[in-house]
Amino acid sequence: MRMTTGARIFWTRCAMLLAALLCWEVYARLWADTRFVSPPSLVLHAAIFELFREPGVIDALVTSLWILFVAYALAILFGVAIGLAVGWSSFGRKAFFPVVLLLYGIPQVILLPLFVLIFGIGPACKIAFGLSHGFFPIAVNVISGMKNINILYLRSGHSLGASSFDIARYIYLPNMLQSLFTGLRLGMTLTLLGVVLAELYVSTQGIGYWTKLYAETHDPAPLFALIAILALMAVILNELVRAIERRGLRWRG
Amino acid sequence: MNKMTPAGQIVSSQTAAISIQNVRQQYPGRHSSAAVLALDDISLDIPRGEFVCLLGPSGCGKSTLLNIVGGLIKPTAGKVQVSGRTIDGPSPRDIAFIFQESTLLPWYTIRENFHVSFKFSRIARSEWQSRTEEALAAVGMSRFIDHYPEQLSVGMRQRVNLARGIALGTDIILMDEPFAALDEQTRMVLGEDLSELLAKTGKTIVFVTHSLAEAVFLSDRVYVMAARPGRLKTIVEIDEPHPRSPDFMLTTRFGDLRNQLYGLLRDEVREGLQIERKSSAAAGRT
Repeated sequence: MRMTTGARIFWTRCAMLLAALLCWEVYARLWADTRFVSPPSLVLHAAIFELFREPGVIDALVTSLWILFVAYALAILFGVAIGLAVGWSSFGRKAFFPVVLLLYGIPQVILLPLFVLIFGIGPACKIAFGLSHGFFPIAVNVISGMKNINILYLRSGHSLGASSFDIARYIYLPNMLQSLFTGLRLGMTLTLLGVVLAELYVSTQGIGYWTKLYAETHDPAPLFALIAILALMAVILNELVRAIERRGLRWRG
Repeated sequence: MNKMTPAGQIVSSQTAAISIQNVRQQYPGRHSSAAVLALDDISLDIPRGEFVCLLGPSGCGKSTLLNIVGGLIKPTAGKVQVSGRTIDGPSPRDIAFIFQESTLLPWYTIRENFHVSFKFSRIARSEWQSRTEEALAAVGMSRFIDHYPEQLSVGMRQRVNLARGIALGTDIILMDEPFAALDEQTRMVLGEDLSELLAKTGKTIVFVTHSLAEAVFLSDRVYVMAARPGRLKTIVEIDEPHPRSPDFMLTTRFGDLRNQLYGLLRDEVREGLQIERKSSAAAGRT
């Protein structure tokens, strides 16, 4: 039976992943130092029998997810609001967009100690740091999504008596949807990065804290399991945004 | 002075639909000394129910004037009155605006586009459906109601766009070179349709064009404008009842009127070209 192209692509991907895991398994069992690397079979074992029996880890996952969602929601709120405000007029874009890009260019890790000073070591610090990462790609993509608007759509809207809300909701928003979703996906990944970074740096809970703990105690199996869970989380969240994006962009056929 | 309009009712030229009074428009240039005078003291009255054209060389400010009438640009000086009210911003109840190319939003179907426009201009929701269907039927585009604009040809899109402008039910329609993006044949056909559609409704139309044939074929009167600075040069009346058939274009009168307009514009266009040549020569020296 001939497979469709889609099925062939899917199975090729699976085969590649399996092959990589197999190579890793062989390498880890034969040559690697077990203080640093665990074979995938042991990682899986650790995930099932160690990680999920450790109540601290479950709590950490819940805490991190909760913080991530709050930070992401705030990043969307501020990113879209400030993006709209800056992108609304060509004057605003010229005056403020370079400033936004400049701030976006600064490696924010350098500011982490400052965040700790201001927000303490509780969840507020992680939310703020996640937000500061997620905000920029969203704002930048909103602004560039507004820049390519057909000026006649705006003039037509004005001549029909559309309010600013109408213009934003029915003209700007659909026009920048593609760009907005690019920003939302990047923003999600970066918010996660910000939250985990903050947890790694100073924390007594969350995924970051536990990965640090396992690394420092030379226990690679649960460490890799945790990283795998984190990666899985990132993929799932990314796919979630993409699913919403596909719904939103149906008109492009 | 009374005169029979093509639609048959008698209007007095005193009851102007649009009254443009001493309108001046100046654009700031790059330097304060380089300010551009786009319109210099324009005054004209457009009678109710007439189809008028603003005709002139590029740079004569005809589109600027249309935008001022539509309330999209505030004039530097002077004012525009519509039915006795001074224009201060868009007035979607009185004026519909049709642009060079279709402004149907690509992310909505034709039906949704009409509805969004009605929503913008605060038309009661109960009328949306019937207005949409009637307007599309009038231009023979009913079966495309649930298509997206990109599924239609450029000509069909502009036809739907015209229907939308008419569906707004305003007394005045402003058109800024609505056929500029179309090929010659399509613009002739759409022109005929427009003449037929509007003959029935008695609306006041202001139409910007730089096509001589279009101006003669469609208008009751042509306002010929001059450039640098933009000003009104003369008015040419075209006394031919609507709807106009393509046969009108074959008559000697059509040719004479077209030639008369060309005569009025020729020197303007030549002058414009010379000014550009001179200024580019000056730019070359510095």
